[in-house]
Amino acid sequence: MDEFQTGEETAFVVDEVSTIIKESVEGAIGGNAYQHSRVNQWTTNVVEQSLSQLSKLGKPFKYIVTCVIMQKNGAGLQTASSCFWDNTTDGSCTVRWGNKSMYCIVSVFGLAI
Amino acid sequence: FLYRLESQVSFNADEASVSVKECIEAIIGGLDYNQNKVNQWTASIVEHSLTQLVKQGRPFKFIVNCAIMQKSGAGLHTANSCYWDTATDGSCTVRWENRTMYCVVSVFAVALTC
Repeated sequence: MDEFQTGEETAFVVDEVSTIIKESVEGAIGGNAYQHSRVNQWTTNVVEQSLSQLSKLGKPFKYIVTCVIMQKNGAGLQTASSCFWDNTTDGSCTVRWGNKSMYCIVSVFGLAI
Repeated sequence: FLYRLESQVSFNADEASVSVKECIEAIIGGLDYNQNKVNQWTASIVEHSLTQLVKQGRPFKFIVNCAIMQKSGAGLHTANSCYWDTATDGSCTVRWENRTMYCVVSVFAVALTC
């Protein structure tokens, strides 16, 4: 029972991280239409808010958060990631969000210290 | 002796950048955006880049991210933020383009703690 609890506190929990990201995205761009002049500020807000909430979890992890915002106009976008890490302790989670005028894709990579 | 050890452990962004550019050129240099192939291209780019980085034999964990976007006038913006050890960890981003597409590859290197 003790071992399971320790595992929870020091593991990368995808659902928990996913919720944090969704809230950060909604908070930063929810309800807005794509605007070239503001998108710079939006991506910054999304990554900073996400990172701040993640570090508050107090887990022994280093984090990398990436955010892509793309205007919807029919263009194709493909992304891929490859990681060289420790499969037993490290993890990642990607959240895809979209509204009528734009897509927002956020990826979080957590690496155990 | 200690100085040499320390300089070996910080991420060399320029070297990684060169390595990644070579991978991109080898895989999509001279090709036009093709919806059917783009899936394979991004996978190949990240795998080859990762292999080259790991071959350098440095004590790092790596994350390689690749985005390919068709050129059609749409706006694309990317940002990343990292919570790590700024003395040893690092990243580099390579932006490449041709007539029909953009390719953006980011490498994140996190030092292995012994």
